[in-house]
Amino acid sequence: MAKLFERRLTPADSPLAIISRTTAAFLAAMLVAAFLFVSYGAHPLQAYFALFHEPFATLRGFGYTLARASPLALIGLGTIVTWRAGFSYLGFEGCFVLGSTSTAWLALSTASGGRIGHVPFFLFLSIAILFGFVSGGAWAGLVAVMRARFGGNEVLISLMSNYVAIFILQYTVSGPLRAPGSLPETRLLPRTTWLPFILPGTRAHAGILIALAAAGLVWTLLQKMPLGYELIVTGLNPLAARYAGIDVSRRFVLAAFLGGGLGALAGMVEVLGAQHRLMDGISGGMGFVGIIVALLARLNPLAVIPTALLYGGMSVGADAMQRRANIPSSITFILESLLVLLVLASDVLRYYEINASSLWCRSPQTVDGQASE
Amino acid sequence: MNQTQLMGAAFFVTWLSASLRLAGPVLLAALGETFAEQSGVLNVGIEGTILLGALASFLASYYTGMIWIGVFAAVLVGIAASILLAWFYVTARASQVVAGLVFNVLALGIASAVYRKALGNSSAPESIAVFGTLRIPFISDLPLIGPVLFGQTILFYLTLILVVVAQLVLFRTNFGLALRASGENPAAADSAGISVSRMRYAGTLISGAGAGMAGAYLVLAQVGLFRESIVSGQGFIALGIVIFGRWNPWKAALAALVFGACDALQLSLQIFTLRVPPQLLLALPYVVAIIAVSGLFGGKTAQPAALLVPYVKD
Amino acid sequence: MKHTLEMRNIVKRFPGVLASNRVNLTLRAGEIHALLGENGAGKTTLMQILYGFHSMDSGEILIDGERVHLKSPKDAISLGIGMVHQEFMLLQPFSVAENTILGLREGHGPLLDLQGASEKLKELSNRHGLALEPAAKVSSLSVGEQQRVEIVKLLYRDARLLILDEPTAVLTPQEKDRLFVVLRRLRENGRSAVIVTHKLKEVVELADRVTVMRDGQAVATRTIQETSQRELTQLMFGREVSFLADKAQQQPGAPVLEINELRVEDETGRESICGVSLQVHAGEILGIAGIEGNGQSELAAAIVHLQGMKSGRIILNGTDVTNLNVARRRALGISYVPADRRRMGSVVEMSVADNAILGLQRKYTRGLFRSIDDARELARALIARFAIRASSIDAPAGKLSGGNLQKLILGREITRGSGVLIVEQPTRGLDVAAVESVWGELLRARQEGKAILLISAELEELLNLSDRIAVIFEGRIMGIVDPAAASIEQIGRMMAGISAGTTSPTPSAVTEAQHGQIV
Repeated sequence: MAKLFERRLTPADSPLAIISRTTAAFLAAMLVAAFLFVSYGAHPLQAYFALFHEPFATLRGFGYTLARASPLALIGLGTIVTWRAGFSYLGFEGCFVLGSTSTAWLALSTASGGRIGHVPFFLFLSIAILFGFVSGGAWAGLVAVMRARFGGNEVLISLMSNYVAIFILQYTVSGPLRAPGSLPETRLLPRTTWLPFILPGTRAHAGILIALAAAGLVWTLLQKMPLGYELIVTGLNPLAARYAGIDVSRRFVLAAFLGGGLGALAGMVEVLGAQHRLMDGISGGMGFVGIIVALLARLNPLAVIPTALLYGGMSVGADAMQRRANIPSSITFILESLLVLLVLASDVLRYYEINASSLWCRSPQTVDGQASE
Repeated sequence: MNQTQLMGAAFFVTWLSASLRLAGPVLLAALGETFAEQSGVLNVGIEGTILLGALASFLASYYTGMIWIGVFAAVLVGIAASILLAWFYVTARASQVVAGLVFNVLALGIASAVYRKALGNSSAPESIAVFGTLRIPFISDLPLIGPVLFGQTILFYLTLILVVVAQLVLFRTNFGLALRASGENPAAADSAGISVSRMRYAGTLISGAGAGMAGAYLVLAQVGLFRESIVSGQGFIALGIVIFGRWNPWKAALAALVFGACDALQLSLQIFTLRVPPQLLLALPYVVAIIAVSGLFGGKTAQPAALLVPYVKD
Repeated sequence: MKHTLEMRNIVKRFPGVLASNRVNLTLRAGEIHALLGENGAGKTTLMQILYGFHSMDSGEILIDGERVHLKSPKDAISLGIGMVHQEFMLLQPFSVAENTILGLREGHGPLLDLQGASEKLKELSNRHGLALEPAAKVSSLSVGEQQRVEIVKLLYRDARLLILDEPTAVLTPQEKDRLFVVLRRLRENGRSAVIVTHKLKEVVELADRVTVMRDGQAVATRTIQETSQRELTQLMFGREVSFLADKAQQQPGAPVLEINELRVEDETGRESICGVSLQVHAGEILGIAGIEGNGQSELAAAIVHLQGMKSGRIILNGTDVTNLNVARRRALGISYVPADRRRMGSVVEMSVADNAILGLQRKYTRGLFRSIDDARELARALIARFAIRASSIDAPAGKLSGGNLQKLILGREITRGSGVLIVEQPTRGLDVAAVESVWGELLRARQEGKAILLISAELEELLNLSDRIAVIFEGRIMGIVDPAAASIEQIGRMMAGISAGTTSPTPSAVTEAQHGQIV
């Protein structure tokens, strides 16, 4: 008897199949979100308009979109480097926080009267990038070492390390670096440390350029460098990697270092480009949304940029939607995660096809196991 | 007793009592998750499930005024959420970590949206009636152990009972044996006539029920209100407790107590004026959890051999 | 006389191969029947059909004279048939009792009745001489004891017909003797057993009758008393060997690879390689003959360092490489074509071009970057030279057919410029044309002066290509012969565990001789 889900003989992997599946997932997600909009008494099309118009069709909004997309893209890139090497690292929230903390500390030190004193911008930026990268890289690398040496579960360790990092941040902004006053935040960072604004009339800052450069570098690493080849082989087939003479443990640690470093750069970019101070809650879940961005981009470094723009734009549009249509901005969390879940679900269709005719057809029982010729 | 001894005793009692109370939610979630992991599923989504359970318990108690309806609603919502998760884990055979992680974000969105919708845009969190501490005549008045062991809410005692039930079901019933076989060697379970998928669904649903109830415990026996940040890592700590407790309910209870103690430390040390940054103590449970699962203590051999491995039947 | 089991004219086809070709098998009550043959002869397939794992294309199965339809193992179990697989279906952390009653749902309601099960187990183990402790954890048992648990599981379900697939493959000689005692006792009990094996000595020692299979056919059935080891070897291997290869006479050069007293242990502590010493010379193909599972894979893995060794030395061109890792050994000149082409020899998700440089990624560079053009050039060259059919060099290697993938891997390893080439099962699953081309390449490599270690289960291949053939059995070299002089029978006997005159007999053979028949 025909079943509803028939197993395919070969996985449906043609570009057409992939695109049609992903599109179907997108449409399904938008449909579900439309229902949600309706439940808040808003017209779905109006809500979608509010969601997408401001961030993508207005200059000011687009500026914000670029600003929000930069850290997301960097975290997405970090996810790609670690996950494609086969290391399931989830501690990007922590790397982000550590990156912003170390950058803020460095920036405040260059204020007049600070420890270091004034430094020209490009020198400062270089040091900040280096310093931030290493802090995040070491943070993530530590987890990889635990996995390599003791066999620890990197999923759990990295998840919990996020909380430890957040506590470090909270301590920093409530104690050593706190600005006078009672709020858990630092003083405004010296203007000489701010990332330059790149689009006049908007708050779009150079972080997006850093993200673009990082995307190019990650792509080059994975596609064009022997180290990238080894990382990819390690992620796809550790047994074949060992056969090819690759030291799998060392590659894990390296991938974690690079990924954690990128996550920390996201924090740096947010502090120097958007917030200009360090405060409690600066990460706001970006560490996880960035992972989702990478997943939706199918772990492809070039696809991360447009996906980050989409998600960055949605977070901008969510605020607009809340103002205009009175829909809470947390709806975007639903939309963002639903998209990925539905794309994941549509992956089932790689291996099974839906046999709609089975719903009404009722063929007789086939002969028992012994087929006669 | 002199002043110092009195303070010491007070500290100890407060600390121990708080440890037990704070261990409750994490233990409940860990009990449920033990079933899931024994069947071969790592349910990263319990973090989001606890949140949804917490919300459900809050709303249900708020609207019906009956606290037990809140608990019931939380368990139902937990099970419903885990049906979705189980579909991804078992049927779609998606990456369990990815599905669970994304689900957590979804749960946050849903919880936030539903809460705002239900209570309008008022900024002050509403508070509701909570479980009171259960007084057992005479025993609750015993010095020291009275308030500690017998001054807890009924949910706490229910949790203890569930530890016993879990231990029994997992190790002394046919169902438990079949469940554990599915997580240890699915091929062998299959050849013995057990449906591995069904067992894994069951394990995931039980973990959802536990997580939902943990959410109810948080709201109705600890905090007394709902806020979006009410769940901040308890689900992940529960995952750590399962490992630390070697996938065994009794030992998970002990491990949960250790975490509860770390958590309670920063509350109880307020009696003393110490110059320790509060964040250090707040971070302690998480650091202990990391050390517990770092592999330093071995224990990989107790792990269900087929954990995280989807079972493909040709 | 009514047979307990009759399999008549069983036919089973898999894509590309006729696994069972009108096979007939009968079994009487209280009989131990051996199913003898080499790899790929069709023995396991036949038993899987009997156990309900596979359906047959045509034929009949009769149990006690009645026709039966076996759709799944459940049917087989309910008819009293039980199977002990080569890989045990046991839950290691669980107790013997728990493993036995898994899935049975006995006991009071939902609760397990471990007490009752333990009592029944004790009774069974006493009755059949299978000493077992019901409460013991399976992981604490030796391999032989674990096998006993598998047998007890069958008896617990009242199996009258037991199928054992290569049961002595993982046993020590002592455990093997104990198993035989158990099986003989079961026979006295009126139960029957089918032993699938390739080990001649055991067949002669244990079985009442034997059916020899070859290339999917049941070639002959004999009573043990009426036949001889010589005849059985003839039946197992006897065939005309076509010498297809054009092998030029060549004097081998100096020894390039030396293996001294290699000992390798597996995770259970059993020695999979027990003191092997070999030398491979330049311009020589040293064939390693043996039925799979006798240590060949472990030998290759140890030489390449994908597996650690317990003791011994490996010397390459005079340098002791015993402590060097995989990458270093590769760099010094060891190439390896593994038996598992999809899970070790290639990364099926990557393109053909990327697979062409697997293991060579550090060489194909230009400054800091990969030299992708050179890699693609290599891929194209390999495709041309080895006649690989690939739709494009950017298509995933997983899309290549088995034969073409094998040619890609072989080509990569041959053209690397190494002095030593280790090749494991190089022509498995290849069609005739591909086999010929692979053989041609191996001979050409030999002519160029490479030292080649050829591990193969195909006798024909070894006879055609090797300059010398070493036969491996249970982790030991039984003998080294000249393919031109040795007969198939002689090699076959060694492959089946009967030592030739050139080397001393195996220890288990000595034990047999000393203790005679063990009752």
